[in-house]
Amino acid sequence: MIMGASGSKIEKALGDQFPEGEHYFGLENFGNTCYCNSVLQALYFCLPFRDQLLDYYSQNKSVGESEENLLTCLAELFTQINSQKKKTGVIAPKRFVQRVKKQNELFRSYMHQDAHEFLNFLLNELVDILEKEAKASEAKASKTVSGNQGQEKVSNGSINGPVNGTTPPIVTWVHKIFQGTLTNETKCLRCETITARDETFLDLSLDIEQNSSITSCLRNFSSTETLNAEDKFFCDKCCSLQEAQKRMKVKSAPRILALHLKRFKYIEQLGRYKKLSYRVVFPLELKLCNTTDDAPNAEAEYSLFAVVVHVGSGPNHGHYVSLVKSHNHWLFFDDENVEIIDESVVQTFFGSTQEYSNNTDHGYILFYESSDPKAQTD
Amino acid sequence: MAAPNGQASGVRTHFKTPEGRYKLSREKTYPTGILHYSHGKVVTQVLLAHLKDRPPAQTNATSTSSSSSTGMRFPAVRLLGAGNGSRALNFVGGNGFTSKLSSGVKSAASGVTGTLSNGPTAVHFDGEGAYIMFNVGDAIFVSDYNSPDKDPIKSIHFTSSNPVSLAFDSEAKDGHDLLIGLSSGDVYSASLRLQLQDSGKKLVGAAHYNKDGSLNSSRCTAVSWIPNSEGLFVVAHADGNLYVYDKYVEILELFPVDWKLFPAFKTKDASGDASFPPVKEQAQFSVVHAKSSKSNPISRWHICQGSINGLSFSMDGMYLATVGRDGYLRIFDYAKEQLVCGSKSYFGAVLCCAFSLDGKYILTGGEDDLVQVWSMEDRAVVAWGEGHGSWVSGVAFDPFWAPPSDSAESITYRFGSVGQDTQLLLWDLAMDEVVMPLRRLTSLNASPSRVGGTGQASAWDSTHGPGVLLSSPLRKEVPKLAPVMAHRVDLEPLSGLIFSKESILTACHEGHIKVWDRPSQGGSSPSSSEILVGSIKDRQVSKNGTSYHKP
Repeated sequence: MIMGASGSKIEKALGDQFPEGEHYFGLENFGNTCYCNSVLQALYFCLPFRDQLLDYYSQNKSVGESEENLLTCLAELFTQINSQKKKTGVIAPKRFVQRVKKQNELFRSYMHQDAHEFLNFLLNELVDILEKEAKASEAKASKTVSGNQGQEKVSNGSINGPVNGTTPPIVTWVHKIFQGTLTNETKCLRCETITARDETFLDLSLDIEQNSSITSCLRNFSSTETLNAEDKFFCDKCCSLQEAQKRMKVKSAPRILALHLKRFKYIEQLGRYKKLSYRVVFPLELKLCNTTDDAPNAEAEYSLFAVVVHVGSGPNHGHYVSLVKSHNHWLFFDDENVEIIDESVVQTFFGSTQEYSNNTDHGYILFYESSDPKAQTD
Repeated sequence: MAAPNGQASGVRTHFKTPEGRYKLSREKTYPTGILHYSHGKVVTQVLLAHLKDRPPAQTNATSTSSSSSTGMRFPAVRLLGAGNGSRALNFVGGNGFTSKLSSGVKSAASGVTGTLSNGPTAVHFDGEGAYIMFNVGDAIFVSDYNSPDKDPIKSIHFTSSNPVSLAFDSEAKDGHDLLIGLSSGDVYSASLRLQLQDSGKKLVGAAHYNKDGSLNSSRCTAVSWIPNSEGLFVVAHADGNLYVYDKYVEILELFPVDWKLFPAFKTKDASGDASFPPVKEQAQFSVVHAKSSKSNPISRWHICQGSINGLSFSMDGMYLATVGRDGYLRIFDYAKEQLVCGSKSYFGAVLCCAFSLDGKYILTGGEDDLVQVWSMEDRAVVAWGEGHGSWVSGVAFDPFWAPPSDSAESITYRFGSVGQDTQLLLWDLAMDEVVMPLRRLTSLNASPSRVGGTGQASAWDSTHGPGVLLSSPLRKEVPKLAPVMAHRVDLEPLSGLIFSKESILTACHEGHIKVWDRPSQGGSSPSSSEILVGSIKDRQVSKNGTSYHKP
């Protein structure tokens, strides 16, 4: 482990205020892997997520090469950071990155990647692995003599082979941490019947506008859209295509709210993606304004704890860094480098009001943690 | 009046309200070609200063050539008399003669010589005038309010720190009427008239407080004169501390004075160290007085944890409202130095606040994109204005607006807000419509919590103990208000809003001031039916396509 020069600076700055048992380690970049590093830092400082992974590692220590997967690699990496003797330094997440590239050809090249795509891929991959493990242990449990294994979501528990019929979805700890529910309401303008359909999410991707706030982007996300012309809605009651109004509201807010700002827009005339440098302000504390009236945690207050920042003027020549809050102070992670920053510095990553500006560091993915203890999906 | 430039950006040069059409009549900004490296790092604040007419000079003190014979009295006189001057020691007279100080005089400020510009077009700045002042980068610019010129008439530059907050006291009886707070924590008081009369680019004849941030090195976030006080002012800082200063103390520190001439100053004398013990409890309100009541600052108020973002005194100087990073509006009884009441925003920091002229209501705006109306009588939130698409950076009541003569009897308040969404919003709040339903609702549901305590008190209980801070209300509990007018003023986020008798002034982050003239009262005013149509149309204007409604 290399002791970065910035590391000792942090230790000096914090002195005996350095949080007990905490580690601030930079991550080595293996050739444009900053998309991965920045997300990893944000996730490492998502304490409920980190705790689950440390827990997982301690329960699944002996994993051979053949049984290695993204979950085991991530758990191992987090444990590595967490069990360092030194408080600061640099770690090379070699195994983890290799695993990522193996798992998904999208990340195999050395080209720049999108951090949100990576986050999405990672969370879904973890869910898949956990679901498979849960199913496997259910199947094992139902084969034992005593059928009372106390599994949370065991359904019919048939002894012979896979479970059929109405299996309730397995809720992994990834779901418990990140999952929220949206309700999609479509109102037929002719008969006024409202069709509602729920869908779950692990993060929200928001369209952005210049000189807006994250609150206003969330409001837009839930604004009413009119379906007409070629987009008419087939109303079951009217049995025909009708004009309709549609909107999506948050029915159940997640414990950890990940907001993705859609900064990369496909421009038809240019035939490629362009980066929107719009200034979108985000507060350090937040409440969702777009919840349904009966949402149980509509008034939950969220606290910002991490920001993945995209640096650069375009989608292909970028760099990612992250801002992370740990024990009430903010840190800036740029691959190997780690620095303490003042809370007010977060505001310099909102974006720019001018098309061409010196500042190309823009907040891209925001991570908020709910202070509401009830904010967990069951 | 010069016509405004055609706006290529699509920002319209007028907007319609129920009372008529406001038109962009002139703009003010910093001189082109001058861009300090700190431009863009500092947000522009704006003020409108009305310099009152100076009473005629008293003859016995106008002679300057006898400076050496008047000796000790002269330097103090020089500083005090240069202001609006009811004491009128007016030797910088209307005749354009130069005044020079005797060489022995020292001053802590940057040069006390004042020279008038000698050219034929020299403006003497003796009478009354109105000036727009705003900060950009390392400087403060002064523009003539009534002139159509875009360029300022004066600039004042600072080294090693940037001016970030301004205040002006048009009622100042003498001496200094201008306050400037810097990002280093330093504060200056000075005479606006003296700056106008000086042709240099530096602040002249100023008193310097918290030099080099020695008392408090955190950024100044707000400065304000205390109404109805003799020369007292407050300075708020980014570390949650607020200091009370006395402008007369600083001046007298420098020069001995003939007490027979200035009996009012007799009690103040400049001794004592004004250092304060460190704040013990960051989250607790506390007031500490200086060891000597005759030194500056007089006292330190530790308001809250984190930055104080804005403050406002009621017109009678009785109450002080502060808003800050911790999301709380706090209202203090200034004389008793006690917290009276307050409440938490919906979420996020609160950025600005303003008292109504009658002292009954307080506006706040913040990071939840809302404009909040607080009632002093009810000690509760009365309404939330929804309409901004980003943080609210400035709020103000419009004391010059009058409701249409045929309106209902209920009292209506007109106020405005500006936001980082580049919009100016105007609001009408008819108190009868909102307050009564809220009273019924809140008396059933409310249980404000004492901060840090366990007790619950009814919101309407007149035996409210001192210092109750209400927690954030639930969204569904607070009546919502829609704006009567929403207009995109600029391409940049807005940072300042001023209502004057003739117009509305808006300022943007980057240092552009726009003056929107009120609808004319004469023949060119639109007919009443036109006004009606305009207002309905504007009510439906919304940025995000959502419809506004009261619950």
